[in-house]
Amino acid sequence: MTTKVLICDDSKMARKQMARALPADWPVDVHFAQDGQEAIDLIKAQSFDVLFLDLTMPVLDGYATLEIIRQEDLPIMVLVVSGDIQPEAQERVKKLGAIDFIKKPVDAEQIKQVLIEYGILRDQAHE
Amino acid sequence: MSDLIQLSEDERDCYQEITNVAMGQAADRLARLLGVYVVLPIPNVNLIEINEFKMTLKSLEGNSTVSAVCQGFIGAGIAGEALLIFNDASFAEIAKLLDYPGNLDQHEELEMLMDVANVLNGACIQGIGEQLDIDFSQSHPVILGQHCSIADLLEPNQSRWQRTMAIEINYTIEDHNINCDLLLLFTEDSVVHMNRLISFLMDD
Repeated sequence: MTTKVLICDDSKMARKQMARALPADWPVDVHFAQDGQEAIDLIKAQSFDVLFLDLTMPVLDGYATLEIIRQEDLPIMVLVVSGDIQPEAQERVKKLGAIDFIKKPVDAEQIKQVLIEYGILRDQAHE
Repeated sequence: MSDLIQLSEDERDCYQEITNVAMGQAADRLARLLGVYVVLPIPNVNLIEINEFKMTLKSLEGNSTVSAVCQGFIGAGIAGEALLIFNDASFAEIAKLLDYPGNLDQHEELEMLMDVANVLNGACIQGIGEQLDIDFSQSHPVILGQHCSIADLLEPNQSRWQRTMAIEINYTIEDHNINCDLLLLFTEDSVVHMNRLISFLMDD
């Protein structure tokens, strides 16, 4: 089954890096948003399974985006992808409902491990 | 020379993203040193002329006095200066966080300024270097001025260059009155080299 993925980052390069870091054998339908507001609008218009969310963005940043997702109970799994590696940032996003934190620059192997850990991607080596 | 270097939207975006990652690493170091949460801004990346640069600096600091440290870095045909500018009002707060007792004398302030500059400049420069696969060597930090105005700071340096790439990061610390600006300035020739290096990062 195809997983619907939304990548939200204000940087075009970061969006591309993120998309390229997704496992090659993962059947996905990838969409992009440039800021939190765009992401929220897209999530409301069509449902997504997974959101890769940057924190530092104009218009609506990652923290505010997480708050809206939680307040409005939008059904989506959020993985925060950020260069802000302060322990406090990681704690805050988890409190706001993000399932995990992935540090930039993104690493394909780490993304894969996280996806397997949360059962989003099935580990074919163990089947 | 000034018509040679240019920055496309994609290149600017790339520098911004590289800076974003590097400043996150620097903020993490500062957060651990001071036991605080550092608020990360969106960095500004611009090609600027010296006159615009002065205006930028003045608008950053308003009328307050500042203290500044600069530190050169060089590697793989790329050279620049990291300029850290502290609002003087920040010192008392940093001293509190670092457990300095009582009022600070000038030497203690200097020491503190150097400590913070080492952490922020160093981590940021190395962070950018890592992503571009460059091992930057850094010079010893140099105090440009203590408790002076931005104009005083710039006066002796004004004729060395005309146009440069400037990356500007404004760090603030949550719940504390601490504010500093880190400016990374690259020479014109460096920008030509760096544009070539980042083209590999931007490739599909």
